[in-house]
Amino acid sequence: MSETTQTQTQTADDTDQPLTTVSGETEEQTQQEWVEYDFQGEAKLVSEDLDVYYGDDHAIKSVSMEIPEKSVTALIGPSGCGKSTYLRCLNRMNDRIKAARIEGSVKLDGQEIYQDGVNLVELRKRVGMVFQSPNPFPKSIRDNIAYGPRKHGDIDTGLLARLLGRDDTDEEEALVERALKQAALWEEVHDRLDDNALGLSGGQQQRLCIARCLSVDPEVILMDEPASALDPIATSKIEDLIHELAKEYTVVIVTHNMQQAARISDQTAVFLTGGELVEYDDTDKIFENPESQRVEDYISGKFG
Amino acid sequence: MAGATQSQLVEQETSGTDAVAAAAVGVSAILFVLSILALFERITLTDPIAGLPTVTLLGGLLVVLGGTVMGFGVGSRLGYVETDPSTSAGLIASFAAAVPWFVVGGGVASETLGLGAAGGLVAGLLTGGLAFVATALPREDLGSTVPIGALPVLTGLVFLTGTIGPGWIWNLGWEQPASFTAEFVVPTVTLFNALFAGWAAAKAYGGFGARGRHMGAYTLVYLNALSIVAFLFILVAFVVVQGIPGVLTGVQVGAGVGPESTIFGLTFSWPISVPFVMNGVALLNDYQGVLPAIVGTFWLVVGAVLFAVPLGVGAAIFLTEYAERGRFTQIVEIATNGLWSTPSIVFGLFGFAFLVPRFGNQKSLLAGMLTLGFMLLPLVVITSREAMIAVPDEYRDASAALGVSRWQTIRSVVLPAALPGVVTGVILGVGRIAGETAPILLTMAGGTFVPGGQTVDVVGGFQFTATPPFVANPELLQATSALPYQLFALITAGVGLGQNVADPDGFRWATALVLLIVVLSFYAIGIGTRYYFRRQLRHE
Repeated sequence: MSETTQTQTQTADDTDQPLTTVSGETEEQTQQEWVEYDFQGEAKLVSEDLDVYYGDDHAIKSVSMEIPEKSVTALIGPSGCGKSTYLRCLNRMNDRIKAARIEGSVKLDGQEIYQDGVNLVELRKRVGMVFQSPNPFPKSIRDNIAYGPRKHGDIDTGLLARLLGRDDTDEEEALVERALKQAALWEEVHDRLDDNALGLSGGQQQRLCIARCLSVDPEVILMDEPASALDPIATSKIEDLIHELAKEYTVVIVTHNMQQAARISDQTAVFLTGGELVEYDDTDKIFENPESQRVEDYISGKFG
Repeated sequence: MAGATQSQLVEQETSGTDAVAAAAVGVSAILFVLSILALFERITLTDPIAGLPTVTLLGGLLVVLGGTVMGFGVGSRLGYVETDPSTSAGLIASFAAAVPWFVVGGGVASETLGLGAAGGLVAGLLTGGLAFVATALPREDLGSTVPIGALPVLTGLVFLTGTIGPGWIWNLGWEQPASFTAEFVVPTVTLFNALFAGWAAAKAYGGFGARGRHMGAYTLVYLNALSIVAFLFILVAFVVVQGIPGVLTGVQVGAGVGPESTIFGLTFSWPISVPFVMNGVALLNDYQGVLPAIVGTFWLVVGAVLFAVPLGVGAAIFLTEYAERGRFTQIVEIATNGLWSTPSIVFGLFGFAFLVPRFGNQKSLLAGMLTLGFMLLPLVVITSREAMIAVPDEYRDASAALGVSRWQTIRSVVLPAALPGVVTGVILGVGRIAGETAPILLTMAGGTFVPGGQTVDVVGGFQFTATPPFVANPELLQATSALPYQLFALITAGVGLGQNVADPDGFRWATALVLLIVVLSFYAIGIGTRYYFRRQLRHE
């Protein structure tokens, strides 16, 4: 446990101010030093002392990290290390799990997302998510893409709107085309937008899910092992796409595949068993010269 | 061992011996069909088939079948037939052989030899045990063919010698007059013999061993499925054949022969007249009909569905999407399951004691609708719940990750995906309530012969009133009839309505046929709806 110290104070690299810890809890507290990582540009998401419990299980132990904007951040680690749980904290998807309890803080552009009065609709519009297995709705390709904006009331193509002559069919067309082009799927499906999305191949379905996520104009895209259910060709298409997306969006991706993390990410965070963030640095640094022995063992395949 | 040849990877082409076993399977299938037909009196034992008396034909076929099966087994044991038998036929086959031989031995000893119940039991155990040993001990090719093959040979000889002929009757000698007639015994015994021998023949066809047992099981399952389909077909055919003459009485086709209808102010005459479904009962009618009951059944089902589906689907949404899984949902689940198995007469009593006094203190269409709606409710809740649970959580996750609220997710993703399942539940429920008699008897009533004037006009019955609730529909508060109740009343009434319904039996069968058609129409509508929603979910 070389990375864990008994210090009660934690320091953030940007402020150098001691932060108040979540104390007074009866549970065993594993305090970690702020895993330092200097990067260029602004921090998009900042988590401080984030703890997650599933019932009695302490899934994430006091994770503090900063995620820079318009780049790809990879979260790697062995199964059950809590990387997916951490990802789901960033848009509060863990709220949907009744047994989950979250302590600590996550800030999006400096605004706390774990506080009263947070508008979950707005949060999830700004922080979108793509899941492990492709999960398009059993609807047409067009309906899948337009689903979010329609439900948010951004575009209205309903019967009443059409009767009143206020329908947004043109806007919808433009939006569907834009999202599909961004997800590099337009060429393959532009002539069959009204076909059922379940008729697409696995790789196409996953790109459709990315397009669906892009349709609501997010700032951050969280990806939970987006290529693990796909074949190598579909995987490489998704990886190219992630590269493109990082120019405009902040991408956080969980992956099991270390080569994938090395290929696509700008910085990599390594979680190890027990839900600790052990090391967080430039991807090249992590894969070539990690600080911690445990991380080196993990990356060289000695365990995990 | 002589016959135990090494198993071959490539099966030989069908040999002559295989053809013999296949022919035996075919004979047992023919016997199976013949006995079902005889059981439902589609053929009689006295009339000859192909020049032979039916009993003689059945007996002859049974002897041939049994002989073939036994011959195949013996031939295989002696090495004339190439098979791949196990060392024993196994426990199941042994019990299967022991049970019929116990019945045969017991029956012969107690009845034919007059040894009484105790003697019959001893003799039955002896023959059954013998059959068990004869099946279990020898190699499979002998064990699974000889004891079972001997059964149809014995039965066939009994039929051929006339020991059991068309006029045979076995008086049970109970306090109540009870007896078995040849009309029942001969087909039933033939049916069981055909099943047993067909099973053995199929095993022989497969060359015994694992493949043979597979063939045997396959044949049994296939014959079972066949008998169920045959039973359904015979049931429907029976009602149709008996009901058609009554329904078609006085049918006329031609311009202007039918009753007049007014739709949107346009009055026209139907080009076809089917009095049975277009008339009520009236003194001056040429032909009487059951129109009021048809219309009553239609509105009854529509009303019950309109009442139960929104409530049931709403409850299911609450239980699956909002309520936390725990004690409460478990109790609701148990309660709904219990309600679904509650006898319909209890629902009828509830309607009679609770609804009828509140709706003008008389039996009415509305009371019937609500009672049947309450009956339908639990099934709608159960099936909708199952359908919603089956909707993958990935859809809910995907929707939540887009920031869509829970209610909008339910409306636009969960419900459309669950609709085919909900419709299936409603189809099943409608099938049950459309045929209910007891609740209608207590809440809606009607009569044995309902005049055409009692046909409800629900749509035309709505009136606006000056006082709250501003809408009234006296038609809903009138007693009317429904097909199952009218059928019940016709049967208990026993006699016709003088000259008007001269053939009450034909009238009853025709009513039953119309009820069947109405229920099947609702069923067809349901299937069509479900197909439509499924297409929406898959490839458009």
